[in-house]
Amino acid sequence: MTSKPTLFTDTIEETFIAVTLGLMTVITFANVVARYIFNSNILWGLEVTVFLFAWLVLIGCSYGVKKSFHIGVDVLVNSVPAGLKRIFTLLACIACLSFAVLLFIGAWNYWGPFAGVRPLPVLYNDLIASPLGLAEIEYRWRDQSFYETDDVPVPLINAWLSETFNYGERYEKLPRFIPYFALPLGMGLLLFRVLQASLRIFKGEQDLLIAGHEAEEMLEEAIAGDGEAK
Amino acid sequence: MEIILLFGLVIGLMLIGVPIAISLGLSSMIFLLIYSDGSLASIAQTLFSAFDGHYTLLAIPFFILASSFMSTGGVARRIIRFAIACVGHFSGGLAIASVFACMMFAALSGSSPATVVAIGSIVIAGMRQVGYTKEFAAGVICNAGTLGILIPPSIVMVVYAAATDVSVGRMFLAGVFPGLLAGFMLMLGIYVYAKIKGLPSQPFAGIREILSAGKEAFWGLFLIIIILGGIYGGVFTPTEAAAVAAMYAFFIANFVYRDMGPLKTVEGQANLSIIQKPSAIISAWFHEDTRKTLFEAGKLTIMLLFIIANALILKHVLTEERIPQVITEAMLAAGFGPIMFLIVVNIILLIGGQFMEPSGLLIIVAPLVFPIAIELGIDPIHLGIIMVVNMEIGMITPPVGLNLFVTAGVARMSVTDVVKAALPWVSIMFVFLILVTYVPVISTWLPTQLMGPEIITR
Repeated sequence: MTSKPTLFTDTIEETFIAVTLGLMTVITFANVVARYIFNSNILWGLEVTVFLFAWLVLIGCSYGVKKSFHIGVDVLVNSVPAGLKRIFTLLACIACLSFAVLLFIGAWNYWGPFAGVRPLPVLYNDLIASPLGLAEIEYRWRDQSFYETDDVPVPLINAWLSETFNYGERYEKLPRFIPYFALPLGMGLLLFRVLQASLRIFKGEQDLLIAGHEAEEMLEEAIAGDGEAK
Repeated sequence: MEIILLFGLVIGLMLIGVPIAISLGLSSMIFLLIYSDGSLASIAQTLFSAFDGHYTLLAIPFFILASSFMSTGGVARRIIRFAIACVGHFSGGLAIASVFACMMFAALSGSSPATVVAIGSIVIAGMRQVGYTKEFAAGVICNAGTLGILIPPSIVMVVYAAATDVSVGRMFLAGVFPGLLAGFMLMLGIYVYAKIKGLPSQPFAGIREILSAGKEAFWGLFLIIIILGGIYGGVFTPTEAAAVAAMYAFFIANFVYRDMGPLKTVEGQANLSIIQKPSAIISAWFHEDTRKTLFEAGKLTIMLLFIIANALILKHVLTEERIPQVITEAMLAAGFGPIMFLIVVNIILLIGGQFMEPSGLLIIVAPLVFPIAIELGIDPIHLGIIMVVNMEIGMITPPVGLNLFVTAGVARMSVTDVVKAALPWVSIMFVFLILVTYVPVISTWLPTQLMGPEIITR
């Protein structure tokens, strides 16, 4: 097998994926052990695991676009002439771009209030529409930075967090905008990776956005292994 | 009308090569923006609550991780050795053993294509060596591989449970008998075929070989006992059982089988024992192989859950527009009885199962058909098993069943040849589907016996 040189960003993303899944497993397992052996439980265990789960998938999906491991239906695109295939795939890129843009806007608008950050329509009003005298978008929101998670304790940076986000009032539990940050971050990364992949397809360096099935890589390895044995 | 547009958009996007997850998500967003006053922020919220609000789905990454530790080539070889020792001496023994091995491997891994690759890449070559035709070998593996999603623990069942709020434990139990039955029917078919064609059998390996191979395979197969036993004994929740299984698989892979991790040596030499290298207790946690397995499992989790999360957005749209109720009323008004309804479900899933990843399809179709089934008095658990079996068969029905393509790759045959080779065995699976669909007791007996009758609230 030939190993391609791995990029530095690949290493970061792969380690992130491995460590997040590892932590989820260890925390859940530790909770079982705590219950049966120490007759206690890790109060924040479940909630942290759920948040890690969300982070894993929401951040990880951009890596999936980068490595095109998201599965799709490749029967039609692989059986039409090359020119048509290219048109289809470019259309697919446009669809993915619109998905990423729409969801990034949604993610920002949802997360914003929890962090006391202005949602995009309000930002537009304040920064563009109002100075230029354009029509403003009607959008109602309120600062929800006092929303806290149920059980997760605040790490060391409570003083800074409270000062920056909560008008100096100390948080009892981890504020909600921290786990929710997976949304704008993940969707931003997704948008970035979709843009990159679309460019590669446009330049003809990449064929498709999708993989045919989940065992594709495993199958390639098995066939490669066979080839060596013979 | 709008609903046809929505599904048309989903299918259209999929066909031009948009990832399944994005096809589902984008179509729902477009629909929501045009026909309803939902905001983009509420869609983002739905996306996050896929993780936040569905504790059951949390079992999926752990099951995937457990099977990643367990589905290395070493475990597949041990299982195949045990299977051959047990049933190899019948006529067509190697093929029967392959089905048996697929059943056992299916219990460790939750995925059909993965089962085909892991078992198929070893046994197809073996079957050809003893004189079976390539077509026969490929046809058998292609079908037996689909047992992966029926024999518990199964990821697809977890998804069904999450989509319809039935108990995961019940679903797992309900899969046991149908899984065994399907395997048995395939084996019987092979046996009859082998008798007619005079296929060779292996010499009986002896009780000693069965025991020694069984001991080797036991450590892997014990995983199932931990999961099922733990859930029914009330020791863990399904999610916890999955996490414990993942930890167990990590220990077995690193310290008992030693196919990976610090105790592994170059091929040909005996692996080190823990006494020779005690530092392994610590180093296994940070070993390159551990990182790689975690990463591979993480990748699969991301791929699958991204589809499920987007399917949940679509489900959200459907419920908001009261589509399930509309369909239910239309079907009841048309005078559909349970039998007619089940045939419709069969057809929808057979077609859908060809194109789509089973979990994603299930999370869309389940909420649509579930309320009708309840109205018609069909048991939810039974419905779940029907749906799973349908998707199994969808994977092996021409023209585009997924397992056909994977088998074509493993056996290095053209897809058309695999389709022909698989066809006689697919017909056995069809008989099985009819049995499971119209004899509910096959699925519901075991869960009712062990967990008591189910309470169905309308």
